[in-house]
Amino acid sequence: MIIKLKHYEVRSRKDMEMIDVTGLVEEAVAESGVTDGIVFVMTAHTSSGLLVTEGIECLERDVLAHLERLAPKRPPEGVYGYWHNRYLDYDGRLGFNAGDHLKSILAGVSCFFPIADGKIVRGGRQRVYFVEFDGPLARKMMVQVIGERREGGEG
Amino acid sequence: MKGGIDFHTHPLLVREMIERHPELEQAARKTFYIGNNFQPLEIFLRELDISGLDHAVVLPIDAARTRGAMVYSNEQIAELCRMSDRLIGFASVDPRREAAVELLEKAVRELGLQGLKLAPAMQEFYPDDPNLTALYRKAEELGVPILFHAGMSWEPGSRLKYGHPMRFEDVAAEFPKLKIVLAHLAWPWVIDAVALALKYPNLYLDTSALYFDNPEDFLKFAMRHQVPLTVFERSLRHQIVFGSNYPRVEIKNMARAVRALGFSDECLELIFRANAEELLGGRP
Repeated sequence: MIIKLKHYEVRSRKDMEMIDVTGLVEEAVAESGVTDGIVFVMTAHTSSGLLVTEGIECLERDVLAHLERLAPKRPPEGVYGYWHNRYLDYDGRLGFNAGDHLKSILAGVSCFFPIADGKIVRGGRQRVYFVEFDGPLARKMMVQVIGERREGGEG
Repeated sequence: MKGGIDFHTHPLLVREMIERHPELEQAARKTFYIGNNFQPLEIFLRELDISGLDHAVVLPIDAARTRGAMVYSNEQIAELCRMSDRLIGFASVDPRREAAVELLEKAVRELGLQGLKLAPAMQEFYPDDPNLTALYRKAEELGVPILFHAGMSWEPGSRLKYGHPMRFEDVAAEFPKLKIVLAHLAWPWVIDAVALALKYPNLYLDTSALYFDNPEDFLKFAMRHQVPLTVFERSLRHQIVFGSNYPRVEIKNMARAVRALGFSDECLELIFRANAEELLGGRP
């Protein structure tokens, strides 16, 4: 059994951004030597997401726009106002990005793919996205590969 | 509006500086009291980019006597500024140091720093202490502004009493050619700070106030409810500078909040750029 964990730093450039990290996941799988197994991808942050969708720019915009609609940065009026808008003594600052944390929950923080013949098995249009909800920031992303190396396999 | 200056940032998260000077990690966590992750300098500059700003004033605090740590030394600020021409370095000295005057002169003349940051609450002094006269005189002679922390302080152990606006009146009155900035709108004493600014044209306020809710709602409370926005627009438009207090709040969020207040475009240009340039003597 091979278990390899790789850490990546993803640097966002905008407040909200979809960053295609499919190549990084493929790289981690190739480096692991695993031919048959599974790969897990995860963001280490609670105001970012990790999701799979079709890799086209128009859809990237739609994903961000609709997550913002569901969990806006600006606190909703009334009972849905954000309790997170307060001083956080452990951080030395206020928390006012509840909307970004909620978007992270909606988007999810991880994904996985099977590995066969040393390659991730995914739909032809599926891409892996690191999603920034509160950038720009340097973020941590983890890729863990678990599986076996079959002699004669492509890994 | 094109470009602008964030007049109030603390470069405490810059990873390159933490790697070069490991003691700055303790200064960030224990002295300044900030819990965010350290970030590459590139991220700081991108914060400016997405906020529509060109430059940031980076501030140290000499808290060696009162807190046992330099929250950046003047030399470290100068070192940081050499990494990017978008950063404008200020000096800090503990006014109670015997060599305070000489240290300020060295920081300006030899290190090229462009202003003085003083933090009465963290450095535990009253701004109107007569013992500070020589330091103020030197700043006036050097032609550099003083940015004072004013109002409430988050750091444990820092007392609000040192930051009351009325403790700054003697400085403004006795050094009319010295430009001083009261940070954070001196919140919660905004009306007192505004009274001083109305009376003393050499006294400025920065916008870096955020103590509850979120940037937009807080600034609306402070700059529209506590004091009507028209007072800032009509009477103090040449004495307000944009400041974020990054990293206690992201630059983007404070910039958005100031722009949402309802100022005219002309006034926003003064707040974000022209007034800061005036304070810096036409630089950067």
